[in-house]
Amino acid sequence: MNILFFAGLAVQISAIIFPAVIKNPKKALVISQGFLIAGLLISIVPTLILLFLNISDFDTRFGGLFHFDGLANYFLFVMQLVAIPTTIYNLSYFRHYIEEKKPVRNFLIFYIIMLVSSQVIVIANHAILFLVSWEIMSISGYAGMMLEKEKEEVQTGSFYYLAASHALIFIMYIAFFLLHHESGSWFFTDFDLSNTDKYIVSAIFLLSFTSFGIKAGFIPFHFWLPQAHPIAPTPLSAFLSGVIIKLGIYGIMRTILFLPSVSEWMGWLVLSVSMISAIFGVWYALAQHDIKKLLAYHSVENIGIIGLGIGIGLIGSANNSNAIMILGYGGALLHTLNHAVFKSLLFTGSGVIYQNLGTRNIESMGGIIHHSRIFSLLFIIGSVAISGIPPLNGFVSEFIIFNGFFTISNELKNNYSLVMLLCVVGLAFVGGLAVACFTKINSIMLLGAERTKIESFKVSKTEYLSLWIFAGICIFIGFYPQPVLAILNNVLADRFVPEFSETLFSIKWIYINLVSLAIIAGVALLYLLRLAVKKRYGIRKSPAWGCGYSDITSRMQYSASSYADELNTIPRALLVYRKHIKQAKTVYPEKTHFESHSEDFVDRNMVMPGFRKFRSAMLKLDYFSKSDVRYYVFFILLTIAFYGMVAYLWS
Amino acid sequence: MELNELIQGFISLLFIFAFSPLFAGIVNKQKAIFVGKVGAPVLQPYYELIKLFKKETINADSSSFISVFSPLINFATVIIAAAVLPIGFWKPLISFDGDIILFAYLLGLARFFQILAAMDIGSSFEGMGASREALFAIFAEPIFFFTVGSIAFVSGHTSINDIFHSVRLDNITVIVFVVVCSISSFILAVTECSRMPIDDPNTHLELTMIHEVMILDNSGIDLFFYQLSSYIKLFIYSVILTSFFYPFSIENYWLALLIFFVVMLFISTALAVTETITSRFKMKNIPQYLLFATAIGILNLLIFTFSG
Repeated sequence: MNILFFAGLAVQISAIIFPAVIKNPKKALVISQGFLIAGLLISIVPTLILLFLNISDFDTRFGGLFHFDGLANYFLFVMQLVAIPTTIYNLSYFRHYIEEKKPVRNFLIFYIIMLVSSQVIVIANHAILFLVSWEIMSISGYAGMMLEKEKEEVQTGSFYYLAASHALIFIMYIAFFLLHHESGSWFFTDFDLSNTDKYIVSAIFLLSFTSFGIKAGFIPFHFWLPQAHPIAPTPLSAFLSGVIIKLGIYGIMRTILFLPSVSEWMGWLVLSVSMISAIFGVWYALAQHDIKKLLAYHSVENIGIIGLGIGIGLIGSANNSNAIMILGYGGALLHTLNHAVFKSLLFTGSGVIYQNLGTRNIESMGGIIHHSRIFSLLFIIGSVAISGIPPLNGFVSEFIIFNGFFTISNELKNNYSLVMLLCVVGLAFVGGLAVACFTKINSIMLLGAERTKIESFKVSKTEYLSLWIFAGICIFIGFYPQPVLAILNNVLADRFVPEFSETLFSIKWIYINLVSLAIIAGVALLYLLRLAVKKRYGIRKSPAWGCGYSDITSRMQYSASSYADELNTIPRALLVYRKHIKQAKTVYPEKTHFESHSEDFVDRNMVMPGFRKFRSAMLKLDYFSKSDVRYYVFFILLTIAFYGMVAYLWS
Repeated sequence: MELNELIQGFISLLFIFAFSPLFAGIVNKQKAIFVGKVGAPVLQPYYELIKLFKKETINADSSSFISVFSPLINFATVIIAAAVLPIGFWKPLISFDGDIILFAYLLGLARFFQILAAMDIGSSFEGMGASREALFAIFAEPIFFFTVGSIAFVSGHTSINDIFHSVRLDNITVIVFVVVCSISSFILAVTECSRMPIDDPNTHLELTMIHEVMILDNSGIDLFFYQLSSYIKLFIYSVILTSFFYPFSIENYWLALLIFFVVMLFISTALAVTETITSRFKMKNIPQYLLFATAIGILNLLIFTFSG
């Protein structure tokens, strides 16, 4: 079975040759992406078979470097599922860049490397292999971002990415060295911490939660994410936000498997960090005008929701409750898949808009729905899904997480109920904010009259194909979640929970199926009624009510900032939300001006000042390099002596 | 599910569907009497609905298929949400563990498309209403989970039917709890159904409206669906309010029904009285008012935690 997977992986790697060899970028694009899709299709087959049949296959070839357990297979599945439509989308998206003579061939090479290395990360059973492929994945992501390197925002954003990637991998090294030191092995399967001091176990957990948390984008480690993801080419943004940050979630889940026993504070820590991430992620998103930046902040929110699931699972593990564990981890894993799908849908959708209108600023969009109804429908499907509203997939995973909160309260009682009620209210609040945010972008971007004239709005067939695949998965999981839940049950039964249990199926999903169907059937019936009424009593179009004012232009519509203004004003200190208004003061017309922007609190008030201080401290050392070269040599000797002493004391 | 329960569920749903305009009519009649007018007949909402149904439908120029489908989605989801609620001891049509979440999120779906439809017109008036709707909904959602959610936590059930029929009156705290919950869920009902003092359903100035301004450019069959679903929504939230009083009916079938009708009548009077004696709040004060209701929710949480 795994041979088939490796064959698929080999086909994917072989796709690198084409952009490297073929000089014509168009041909290179088509052939390499074709190979990539073929490779992905070959390798998704064994992944699916392993998941459905619940085979936990520890591959002993290649000296046991790879493993195919439930968790690895699940994340492989998520990646491949998202990578296929994203790669299809590449086919048309890069046409535009090829015409502009951008180095698309280089990008393709890095894209393929990133795709392959991220799959290797998930199946790596050896710490060094894991770290090396992680590094390759990070660097190739960085290189892929540099497609439009002449732009200043690209330079800044990609530097954020690079810095964060290096910071996190440094912490990850320490975590893995500790694991190696305690267990004496580099193999994940041999990591045995049962005799380890509990402080070291806690340290390992904290280190890996920090490092993987930076990748996943939990607040306060999220600051790099909204800087880096928007500036990448759209398919890469989709892949980074949809899949790569999920590797952080994978890392956290993997670490949980290493721990001999889970303490309850870990659950509370993850739960509180996630709640903050969820609430402020979406609140920051509300204040954004740049569609891709907004979506990047939404990733922070959704990572928070996934984290809530993990937190529930950890609390369940600490209290030895099977049901809580399954609902928590299950909700987290399902939301991982769901978020990967609808976030990619929204990102690719925003890419289509960017190519047609040439802007990412939502304030200058509008009226897209009059040019392409199908495209708008697809974008709205993605928005409904991400807001966690029935009948689409976001609701299913949030529903499981809600059930997790209720189950904790029922099983553990007392003060747990109090905190869980607060969590339920918090998640509902996040849902409300997400609705506000996505009604904002949908109504400003798609609906109303055109704020700037749209000459033509073209969506190519390949773009439609990839958007439809994403939307189709959203609809399928929303209407019929049972197959995915069966997969999740298998994944969790593989070492996550002590015994196989059907808790996920104790929820009566049949009602969710029926309600979803009822919504569609109801709307269809009412539409027929409306058609009948239309025939009898007539329907026509007429100008909107202008309150007696006849000369209405499209610029007088409600804008995104006015829509979200009141909401942004409430936490304005935390959002660093500022408005600059220049009002007309005389009766005669004069130039007025309004602008509003929001900066990231963590970035502006914590990270940047910290680095500035660090820099000025480091600049003081500059004195030595200016004075005498012998000081320099002295410092080198001092450093070597320090390391030598540490090494001596250690052994 | 037994056939008997299925029939009961259908009858409750039909009951909600058929009598929600009447409820609005009763509120209006009481309001008129309270200020010394004769008022429109109690059946006036029905006449208005029939008239709307027969009128020509006009859509705004810049509107799209969202405006066509939003009233339908609104109506369908509100009806499905109504199917979750128990009336007396009759089991609702849809009742399973977790339907409290489904209920809240179904109304979220209705809201999502109503806001989109409002923005679809492309006029600032609708935009203003939509923005306010989104803002107040965010504060209303926590109130729902603090009131209905806290009783769910106390009872250990997550199905609305089981929640309200499993809490028993055995000490004074439950009575305090019921009182506190009914205050905050009354505020919730007022907010969600856009009544005074949050929103004025009778005003004619667009700048001051929330729900009414969102449907300003709708007419005919579209307005029919919007109006009917807003009547049903008012009825639904009142039914939730009555549910808090079921613990007083000790498994008595007829007493529960009696409680239902008495409390409904009481709510209609309370609505009429508040709408007559209060004026609408300033827009910027509304979030504070809603946070006050949230604070009440936290209060009943504490009651339960510390009374054991």
